[in-house]
Amino acid sequence: MQLTKHWAGQLDDYVIDLAWSLDGASLAAASAAGPLTLFGALDGLRRCELPGHDGGSNAIAWKPGSAILASGGQDGAVKLWDAAAGQHAATVPMGPAWVEHLAWRLGGADPILAASAGRKFAFINPDATVRRAFQDAPKTISALAWHPLGGCAAVAYFGGVCLWGADDGAAQREFAYGNGIHALAWSPDGRWLVSGNQDPSVHLWMPGSDVELQMSGYEGKVRHLSFDPGSRWLATSGSQDACVWDCSGAGPEGREPLMLAHEAPVCGVAFQRAHGLLASASQDGALMLWSPERRQPLRATARMPAAAACLAWSHDDSLLAIGTEKAMVYVLRCET
Amino acid sequence: MDTDPIPVTVITGFLGAGKTTLLNRILSERHGRRLAVIENEFGEIGVDNQLVIQSDEELFEMNNGCICCSVRGDLIRILGRLLKRKDRLDGILIETTGIANPAPVAQTFFTDDEMRRNFRLDGIVTVVDAKFAATHLDSDDESVKQVAFADVILLNKTDLASPSGLDALEERIRGMNAVASIHRTRDCNVALERVLDIGGFNLGRATEIDPKFLEPEYPFEWAGAYRLPAGSHGLVIGHADGREHSGGHHHHHHGSENELDVAVAPVSALGEAEIAAALDSAVAVFAGPEKRVENGGMVAPGGPLKRLLLDGGNGRFKLEVSEPGHYLVFERCGEEPLHIQVGADTVKPSWQADYHVAHEHSSVSSVGIQQAGELDGKRLNDWISALLRTNGGDIYRMKGVLSVKGATRRLVFQGVHMLFDAKFDRDWGPGPRINTLVFIGRNLNRAALTEAFKACFAA
Repeated sequence: MQLTKHWAGQLDDYVIDLAWSLDGASLAAASAAGPLTLFGALDGLRRCELPGHDGGSNAIAWKPGSAILASGGQDGAVKLWDAAAGQHAATVPMGPAWVEHLAWRLGGADPILAASAGRKFAFINPDATVRRAFQDAPKTISALAWHPLGGCAAVAYFGGVCLWGADDGAAQREFAYGNGIHALAWSPDGRWLVSGNQDPSVHLWMPGSDVELQMSGYEGKVRHLSFDPGSRWLATSGSQDACVWDCSGAGPEGREPLMLAHEAPVCGVAFQRAHGLLASASQDGALMLWSPERRQPLRATARMPAAAACLAWSHDDSLLAIGTEKAMVYVLRCET
Repeated sequence: MDTDPIPVTVITGFLGAGKTTLLNRILSERHGRRLAVIENEFGEIGVDNQLVIQSDEELFEMNNGCICCSVRGDLIRILGRLLKRKDRLDGILIETTGIANPAPVAQTFFTDDEMRRNFRLDGIVTVVDAKFAATHLDSDDESVKQVAFADVILLNKTDLASPSGLDALEERIRGMNAVASIHRTRDCNVALERVLDIGGFNLGRATEIDPKFLEPEYPFEWAGAYRLPAGSHGLVIGHADGREHSGGHHHHHHGSENELDVAVAPVSALGEAEIAAALDSAVAVFAGPEKRVENGGMVAPGGPLKRLLLDGGNGRFKLEVSEPGHYLVFERCGEEPLHIQVGADTVKPSWQADYHVAHEHSSVSSVGIQQAGELDGKRLNDWISALLRTNGGDIYRMKGVLSVKGATRRLVFQGVHMLFDAKFDRDWGPGPRINTLVFIGRNLNRAALTEAFKACFAA
């Protein structure tokens, strides 16, 4: 397998989020200081720069099937940008709290942008009208994730997770959890909903049944979760190893996880979208690629001058984008 | 990873005490440094171009209801976001609301791995309103905790309080928290090196404690020795020229102004051992029942405790001594002087001492233990674990530098409620290895803590 540097670009500050456009033409990168930069996916050229948010940007997400980029920031606003024209399209104020989490519905009839700011949560239409504003969550919303089929959005806060129906806005389920939650992930087949927790642990619910599992033993809080496209492997941060649970069948309880070793705390995990490679990054700047099902799972290693702040695979799985704490964006080409 | 942790200063204090004044002072004097402020009330910062974040003090309270497990979720979130910058910040200031309990703030920096790795809780600064503090401390549990948790206490608005009121307040606060440094200020005018980078939670500085506080507490404030012939003498409270208090020790009244508890005990000589034995028996007498003595009545050496009933702070009693020799007179407290008259002459004490008084008006206090020797690591660990399990709710903070048998380096530790950090720091080097252990908390039993600690010494 070959891992080669394809291009590199620089932002003005910490790379807080990365998002590949669905057509594969561009990579959007958000700086923690505010500006959003669009890079050409193949050549790394700077296509345009958007001002982003006063006080800093937090998250970005491409609307499915279009050149509309959504962003959320410290100014308490969701903004929509017309990437083709390089222009601001609309602003949706959410309140005084930071907009920290954004996600477009990928499944389902039409795109809906789920956004949270503090305890506020809303569904926003692509035309920037508020489709539904929900009652305040009991505590600050700390993660959100759409069900892969788009029927509901899972919203996490200290104390639990609530599933809000996409169409009727009803609370479908509420799962109690007695601690802080930092990350949420659905398995692609929708069988598992997983939280990465403050306590530190991961908790798995099988929403179709009453099964729930608690996997602990982490050194620190679990902030990153990623499922492989086959819904078998769940990769987690929280230790000096990328800890990978086998979620097939009845789930990981009673199974030893794979411990994919780094030399410093793991700060990112990301499975490919359609293939089975796992990228993991650690605080020392190391990046490793793994095939969890192999006897010798390590496939490739790269080292960057600074720790990865975010990881993103391109939609065809050929390019891996890495944004670092020191404002660099690296795009690696991965050929098997 | 290779960068120094960012220092965090927590500013607590009651509403109106002057927290914002202190914050603005720090920001205007430390301009040019990259400081971020996490404040609870919006728009108070009067200094431009500052990174100011408003927080809602979101508590993560655990199901078991234990305050010792609570952390501040908003700080984990906000500080986590503040780390997301290319250039590190130089410091963080956290202002809490007047009603905030400092424990979850401190515990956040003990329990969360990211917070521990990237931040260093430098100190808790509590701003106290010199005029109204006594009322707050009487009525409000959170203000007591803010004082108990503090590394630095500013007695602010001194211009609005009387000197005697300030003295009394400082003494009261010192009785609760013997470890904090106390500064008297107007408009929070204090040198910034006294509030920033103080290393209050720095393990290496755990022994920088007011040495006086390590002395045991006694139920009496003063003792004096007199050489007396046999006979009936005068014990006079008030009226006359009086004795001199050494060291400007300030006495204040516990209880009624017209009652004064005294005990008189014979002592064979004025050597250290004899006085120590007499102090111990006087402690027992003060702990026992008292006998009320009317003005003009008779006082004899030995038990029980004599409660002298005064008239306008004055009184004259007969002290009956059957054997000539040295007598120690112990006094609970007294604004009026005490003196002994033999015939027409006032006898000067041949020896006297002031004592650190156990404060009865606040159940929050400090206990310091200092003792040379080597500890058994397992016994120490078993004791601390059991102590925190059962009494962690009452122990707000503890610090210690300990000598463990077999270790060449000092074991330093620092705790908040049930959480603590311990590590070996530098070599003891030559000289005695003296253990120092400090507890600040509620309902602390000095005798029991001291005894349990002594049981941890290696055989």
